[in-house]
Amino acid sequence: MSSKAKKGKEPITSGEKTSLYTKENRAENLQLSIAKKEIIYQNTEKEKRASELVLANEELAFQSDEKEKRAAELIIANKELAFQNKEKQKRADELYVLNEQLRAKEQQLQNHINAIAVSNASIEFDLEGYILTANQNFLKIMGYAKKDLIGKHHSLFVDKEYAKSAAYKQFWTTLKKGVYQKDEFQRVTKKGKSVWLLGSYNPILDISGNPYKILKLATDVTLAKRQFLQLATEAVEKEKRASELVIAVKELAFQNKEKEKRAAELIIANKELEFQNEQKEKRASELVIAVKELAFQNEEKEKRAAELIIANKELEFQNNQKEDRASELVIAVKELAFQNEEKEKRAAELIIANKELEFQNKQKEKRAIELVTAHKELAHQSREKEKRAAELIIANKKLALENIQKEKRKAEKEKSAAALIVTNRELAYQEKRGKELTLANNELKKAQEELGAFSYSVSHDLRAPIRAINGYTQILVEDHADSIDEDGKKVLQAVIHNSRKMGLLIDDLLAFSKLGRKQVSASAINMDALVNGVINDIVFDADAKTPLFDLQALAPSNGDPSLIKQVWINLISNAIKYSQYKPEIRIKITSAVQKDKIVYCVQDYGAGFDMEYYDKLFGVFQRLHSQEEFDGTGIGLAIVQKIVSRHHGAVWAESKLDTGSSFYFSLPNIQH
Amino acid sequence: MNYDNIEILFAEDSLDDAMLTIRALTKSGFTNKLLHVKDGAEALDFIYCRGVYAERNPNSHPKLFLLDLKMPKVSGMQVLEKIKGDPDFKSIPVVILTSSQEDPDIAKCYDLGANSYIVKPVDSNNFFNAIKEMGMYWMILSQPSL
Repeated sequence: MSSKAKKGKEPITSGEKTSLYTKENRAENLQLSIAKKEIIYQNTEKEKRASELVLANEELAFQSDEKEKRAAELIIANKELAFQNKEKQKRADELYVLNEQLRAKEQQLQNHINAIAVSNASIEFDLEGYILTANQNFLKIMGYAKKDLIGKHHSLFVDKEYAKSAAYKQFWTTLKKGVYQKDEFQRVTKKGKSVWLLGSYNPILDISGNPYKILKLATDVTLAKRQFLQLATEAVEKEKRASELVIAVKELAFQNKEKEKRAAELIIANKELEFQNEQKEKRASELVIAVKELAFQNEEKEKRAAELIIANKELEFQNNQKEDRASELVIAVKELAFQNEEKEKRAAELIIANKELEFQNKQKEKRAIELVTAHKELAHQSREKEKRAAELIIANKKLALENIQKEKRKAEKEKSAAALIVTNRELAYQEKRGKELTLANNELKKAQEELGAFSYSVSHDLRAPIRAINGYTQILVEDHADSIDEDGKKVLQAVIHNSRKMGLLIDDLLAFSKLGRKQVSASAINMDALVNGVINDIVFDADAKTPLFDLQALAPSNGDPSLIKQVWINLISNAIKYSQYKPEIRIKITSAVQKDKIVYCVQDYGAGFDMEYYDKLFGVFQRLHSQEEFDGTGIGLAIVQKIVSRHHGAVWAESKLDTGSSFYFSLPNIQH
Repeated sequence: MNYDNIEILFAEDSLDDAMLTIRALTKSGFTNKLLHVKDGAEALDFIYCRGVYAERNPNSHPKLFLLDLKMPKVSGMQVLEKIKGDPDFKSIPVVILTSSQEDPDIAKCYDLGANSYIVKPVDSNNFFNAIKEMGMYWMILSQPSL
């Protein structure tokens, strides 16, 4: 069969070759010769093969015999196999049953393992203590990831000191021997927290009964353990406390007895206190009344004290004045004795004079003229004296304060009249003895006071001759008009006018002098009402401008209302007078309460004055404006100063020429 | 001189003031019988009928006594004190004449019983009017209390 297949194959191959050769005509003849040789070779081969096939047939016949023999043997073998198969089936059935049983048991076991794994933490170690695996519960409790643990040693979970200890080595030696260990174990988590694990180390045995790994099963009992420890501690505490309480109870019992005793005492004490309280309330209400009474008395006394202080000062001053006056009176009495003699002489003279009446009439006319002259002289002298007094005060003050002023003073002294020689000596004396300056000042003050008394009596006595001059001149005008020509009449009017003026000056001087001796009363003054009264009382000329008052609320004060009213009258009328040439007259009146005084101010926007002459401002008969410009006697501000100083206050002023002036006076703040 | 029926007693040491006062009274129409004495002593002599007045009628009292305060020998104040303290003469109206309103003695005079006072003004017109009014009141309107 295989040869047939070979033959069949060849033509297909030559055919392919032929197709190849047809494409190339040159090679076609060569191809055909080769094919003829091939066929010859194949015929010889076929004869050889036929002989071989005869031999093969003979072989086959022998083989068929063998096959029959073998078939018979196979039948026997088949029968044997069939028996064996039956045996095998039996055994297979038995194995299946066993397998089923085994699978059920495995399932059961797996269930147990799962149950254990879910409710317990588990970890497996090799016998040396290196970690093989761990379940989720364990990882969760200890805070590790599984990959961090595999291959690490169990000592990772225990206290470092313990890990080094012999007890720990013994622990593992025991496990290696396959001994099961169960306890509460203290372990350390990854974060270093201490946990308590309740469980067991279970050595796992191989088939031969030798341990090959350790399974640890555990439950986290940290919370319970802690509570237990806490409870144990508390229990100890409670026992301690209990024994303390026993002592405390005994103590309390003792104290209770003491308290009962004390309570009984307190009841008695309370009754006593109640009684005392009632007594005290009674006394308290009495005291309240007494306190009010005292407060009232205190106020009264304070008021009285303040009044007394002023009154005392006043009395002191009056005493001085009276002493002065007494000494004056002694002189006056002597003077009177002298005058009496003079009068008697005069009476005798009058008898002679009567005989010479006609002559005297002529003489009187002459005398009238002389009197006018004398009068002027007196007025001049009076002014000079005042000036001198004022100069002396200033000179003394300057002397005390500044030695530089001495030379100036000397120059002034040289200028002074012969009357000043005594004073010059005094000054020279004072220069030499600066320490006695205070004494000298006091003497000067005394001299001032004497001068005040003197000016009173002088002005009183001056009035009489002036009255006579005025009266006689009036008689000439009324009764002898026919015998006097027009020029003469004018002169007489001038005499009347000047004597009248002199009278006014004397009145003012007298008023000023009187302030030195007038008693100053002290009572509360409603300054608002007082000033409003002054403003309303001011009489204006019909053609004069109406002043505009800016009157602020004024603080009340204490003093002599009539005198303080005079202060306001003088200051306000001055303010009006010196504003008369301004387009409008504005006057502002204010007060300011200070710690120990109350300051009042009258401000105008009038002519003002030159502060260079401030020293003369408050002097008697001192004027900073001419008579033609502003009418006045020059005594108003002197009176203001006198009144205020009698009230222990102060007067001062500020001014700018042509812009206006502010006059201030202060009174003591008695409330304070 | 007859000192009986003197209606106005006038004590004033200043002859000038006396002359002007008398002139003012006369000009005002008071022609009453007036006696001018030059000091307090003389005034008291008149009241008590002593010295030159010893012979006068003691029952005749002046209707008005004008008294200057400042007088030699016996002052107006002393005269006032004397007669106002005497029951026989205290009913005589006394008007005080003074040089100044500021005279501290004015209040004292009232205390002693003076009936009024007049300030002698410098201005003679005012003086004249003051005297005239005073005379009018005391001599005509006022009735002596007896």
